[in-house]
Amino acid sequence: MPPSPLAVWAWPEGLYEGPGTVLGASRGRLMSVTATRNTRAGGRARSRMEKRYRRLLALYPKDHRREHAEEMVGVLLAADGDAQVRAPKPVAWARRFGQHTADSADLIGGALRIRGRMALNRLRQTRWLSLTVRDQRWSDALAVVSVVAPLLLLVAALTEFRIPQAVASSITGHPHWGLSATLGLADLPMAAGAPGVTLLVFLRLRRLAGLGALATAVGQIAAGAVPAFAGYADPAVAFTVLLSCTAAVALLLSPGPDRGLALLTRSGAALVGTGALILGGFSVGGDVWFGSEPPRFGGSGGKVAGLPADLLIAAVLVGVAAACLRAPVSRRVLALLAVPVIPYAFLWQEKLAADLFGQARDGSAIIPSSIPLLYLPPLLLASLILTGTWLARRRAGGRNRQVGSATSGPRSPVSA
Amino acid sequence: MCRSSAYTSPVSKQSMQEPTFLILTALAAGAQHGYGIMTDVARISDGRVRLRAGTLYAALDRLKADGLVTGDKEEIVDGRLRRYYRITDEGTAELAAEVRRLRANAAVAASRLGLAGGAV
Repeated sequence: MPPSPLAVWAWPEGLYEGPGTVLGASRGRLMSVTATRNTRAGGRARSRMEKRYRRLLALYPKDHRREHAEEMVGVLLAADGDAQVRAPKPVAWARRFGQHTADSADLIGGALRIRGRMALNRLRQTRWLSLTVRDQRWSDALAVVSVVAPLLLLVAALTEFRIPQAVASSITGHPHWGLSATLGLADLPMAAGAPGVTLLVFLRLRRLAGLGALATAVGQIAAGAVPAFAGYADPAVAFTVLLSCTAAVALLLSPGPDRGLALLTRSGAALVGTGALILGGFSVGGDVWFGSEPPRFGGSGGKVAGLPADLLIAAVLVGVAAACLRAPVSRRVLALLAVPVIPYAFLWQEKLAADLFGQARDGSAIIPSSIPLLYLPPLLLASLILTGTWLARRRAGGRNRQVGSATSGPRSPVSA
Repeated sequence: MCRSSAYTSPVSKQSMQEPTFLILTALAAGAQHGYGIMTDVARISDGRVRLRAGTLYAALDRLKADGLVTGDKEEIVDGRLRRYYRITDEGTAELAAEVRRLRANAAVAASRLGLAGGAV
């Protein structure tokens, strides 16, 4: 098929028709498209068409546009010129309209394909489970929590099934606590999740352990939804749900337990261990397995009273907090662990009220635990942590930009 | 712990789409610019496949990303960039593999239909 005059104008050196053959070159018509616009009657129409194509090319990604826009416009104009044939005016107009519409639709389709492919590639390249917190101190704090939180979760699960209580009873000869024989569907997430997460942490499978902790949290949330979300108002459930979430975040977004163990000192590990045992023992099981007084099972669901136990809890919490305040990373560990420990305060105040007012209490001194009270303060704290770190990063970024504009030295590490 | 075999086993290669096959065929004989590829593809397919600019450059973009095609020389003609594309060694191998696959399939189909030249 011989090339049309317009196609030859668009490609002054001629149309390529196979290797070694360049059509139109012999014609010697080296008239540019710009010149054509000025000299030919159809120049204005071509200019309008070029503008239209350029507008459509704006749909393409910037890099693609920079690399291919000019040659695409050239090809479009050449193809348009090549498609023109001698015909009655309405027929020629209809053909031209069809050609432009098809080219425009094809350009839009091409842009969508390229953008879609780029988005898909980005999704494929993102290693979702390799994302870690960039700030070194928060990263270290999360690494420590990735050791502490699974340990707390295991203790909480053991206590939920009264295993430490049963062991203590068998050692001391206490008659009241045996192993919990019943295992309902609602208990399964903790019964399977907590040991599973600890095992995976022990096997150094950080991401899998993080996903396991997340599954444990989701399982507990699902179990608490029946009947009528009643389980959510239990401080023990709130504690273990939030603890599972904290463990998941720490395991997925930090270098992991190896780094956490390297950061933990011996005294820190001892403090954490004691804290874990006491927190787990008091918060979930509902029964205290140590204390100076014999248990009194009353209307409060079998909670054991005992002021010495209250003092011990307070001492451990204050001790852990005081020890954590000394270093920047420890302060962050404290802030992170405070998220799941907040519901524990409701358990503790119930127990404290029972100890102070005894069996005759009318309940007026107790703040009743409710879903908003149990979950909103931890969520608020988590939001504060996120907002604070974001603001600190912005501030540090602004400082670095100022320093960078003054000197061309390397950027200082960002700290929150 | 092992990953699921679904993630480790090589994914079976999909057959090449016709526009891709025709673009690679057009470039197999030598480097061409965009409009040259369009006209060559129309000629190879006997006018059946008419590539438009959007389809052509989306395909070229993908083929370049896959390493089957690469940019060759560039020219400025009347203020407009004209870029030539050529097939890479990997592209040639891919095209050859596709030709073998199509030929084998065609031979089986022909032999079952009892057409002449069906035997491989």
